Amino acid sequence: MITVKSLYKKYGTIEVLNNINIEFDKGKVYGIVGENGAGKTTLFRCISDLEEYEGEIISNPNPVKNHLGLLLTDPFFFQKITGKEYIQFLCNARNVKIPNIEEKNIFELPLNQYASTYSTGMKKKLALTAILLQGNEFFILDEPFNGVDIQSNIIITEIIHKLKALNKIVIISSHIFSTLSDTCDEIHLLRNGQFIKSVQKTDFHILEAEMKQITIGNKIEKLGLT
Amino acid sequence: MINRKFQDVGFNPQLAYILLTVLFAGLSIFLFQKTEFAIYIYLLLALTLLGKLSETRRTEFLKICFGNIQLKKIRIIENLIYSIPFFAFLLYKHLIGYAGLLWILTTILALVNFRTTLNFTIWTPFSKRPFEFMIGFRNSFYILFAAYALTIIAVLVNNFNLGVFSMLLVFITIWSYYSKPENEYFVWAHNQKPKVFLLSKIKTALLFSSSIVLPIVLILAIFIPQNIGITLFFFLVGLAFLISVIVSKYAAYPDEINITQGFFLALCIGFPPILIPYFFKKSENRLSRLLK
Repeated sequence: MITVKSLYKKYGTIEVLNNINIEFDKGKVYGIVGENGAGKTTLFRCISDLEEYEGEIISNPNPVKNHLGLLLTDPFFFQKITGKEYIQFLCNARNVKIPNIEEKNIFELPLNQYASTYSTGMKKKLALTAILLQGNEFFILDEPFNGVDIQSNIIITEIIHKLKALNKIVIISSHIFSTLSDTCDEIHLLRNGQFIKSVQKTDFHILEAEMKQITIGNKIEKLGLT
Repeated sequence: MINRKFQDVGFNPQLAYILLTVLFAGLSIFLFQKTEFAIYIYLLLALTLLGKLSETRRTEFLKICFGNIQLKKIRIIENLIYSIPFFAFLLYKHLIGYAGLLWILTTILALVNFRTTLNFTIWTPFSKRPFEFMIGFRNSFYILFAAYALTIIAVLVNNFNLGVFSMLLVFITIWSYYSKPENEYFVWAHNQKPKVFLLSKIKTALLFSSSIVLPIVLILAIFIPQNIGITLFFFLVGLAFLISVIVSKYAAYPDEINITQGFFLALCIGFPPILIPYFFKKSENRLSRLLK
């Protein structure tokens, strides 16, 4: 379980997160949606302890960061580190021994090549593989489907289902609504640093329709396409 | 851009240029005093540094911006400017022929471009414990092999100073592995307390650096045994300074080492262990934000 209580985050005078309260339970998948700049990544960084914040974040097991697999939107790689060595590094960091990394290479990545030469999608798959092999209890996946081919999207969706079945907590952000509706139990809408709506699986279609209405409005008509 | 880099670490650019000139001249004099092969090392060093400017992507970018003819002019001028310090020192040493050769090679180098990052994966003995030595080895393996070759030459010509120089060359190369702070994700990912994290970094560094430097130590100890005390002294100083470099790096983390720390680090060369406890404590504090 992860509980976020009265979370505030400011960058200078700009308030990015404003009184966030939420509880993440084991065996559930949570979607966080919001426009660019709504505060999703900052929220993830606060939960991960990568940012200092006001408020309280409690978890079991504690601290969150030592049991968390964090997939960043744009994973960083050293210039001359191979895919295999990257996985080795992240497993070493958690004292996890993987006797045969190649066996776990389900995305069939060229593990002996430098990760910096990988495409955007391959980098994401490598980073995901590494955090999965760390044996984490919690997962924050920031845009896991971005830039990834359709076959791998199917695999990632199945992985998320498996993590749920294993009683893990998974928090996802995505700009593709269908990927969230396929995987999440709850979706929380973040706007201007606040949760303005929380929706259970049964009402996802209502949320999608509302978001379409708010987002599109009459903007397309304004273009005057003929 | 260079001025900004100096300002970022708290240096006045004018002062930095003066200090760099003094340092360059000092190291050049030291090199030419210590070995008869200095001229070859010097030329190789100059061309290696200039080679960085011939990187394909950089050249392509300049070509898009300025066109083919302008590009060649820019590249030749760039290379000639960069080679001025080496050229000036060679003239000072009355090595006019070598100075001319340097300018010819410099001009030729401006007309070619190549990838400084190779597409194939270079094997490394350090892949089990990423990342500093693994990446460092891939970036500098040729320096390490050159140092081994120098050690053998030192034994053949019975020049102990050259042997010590090759050991110091390896240590300087290893210290450089810790010169840049890594992305915070790679510190955050560890489930260790700061103290354990630092000790583990130091342990790996001592183990791997010893494995690189020991062949030189052994060769010098076996073939120039009368100086074994000095050999061991430099070996231990190199290791102690390595620890100082690591703790200094994390004492500034996530920033780069600033001028004050650089100054203290320079003081450590005289007696490395003196500031290790202070920087270790400071590193623990700096890392406590990311490691719980």
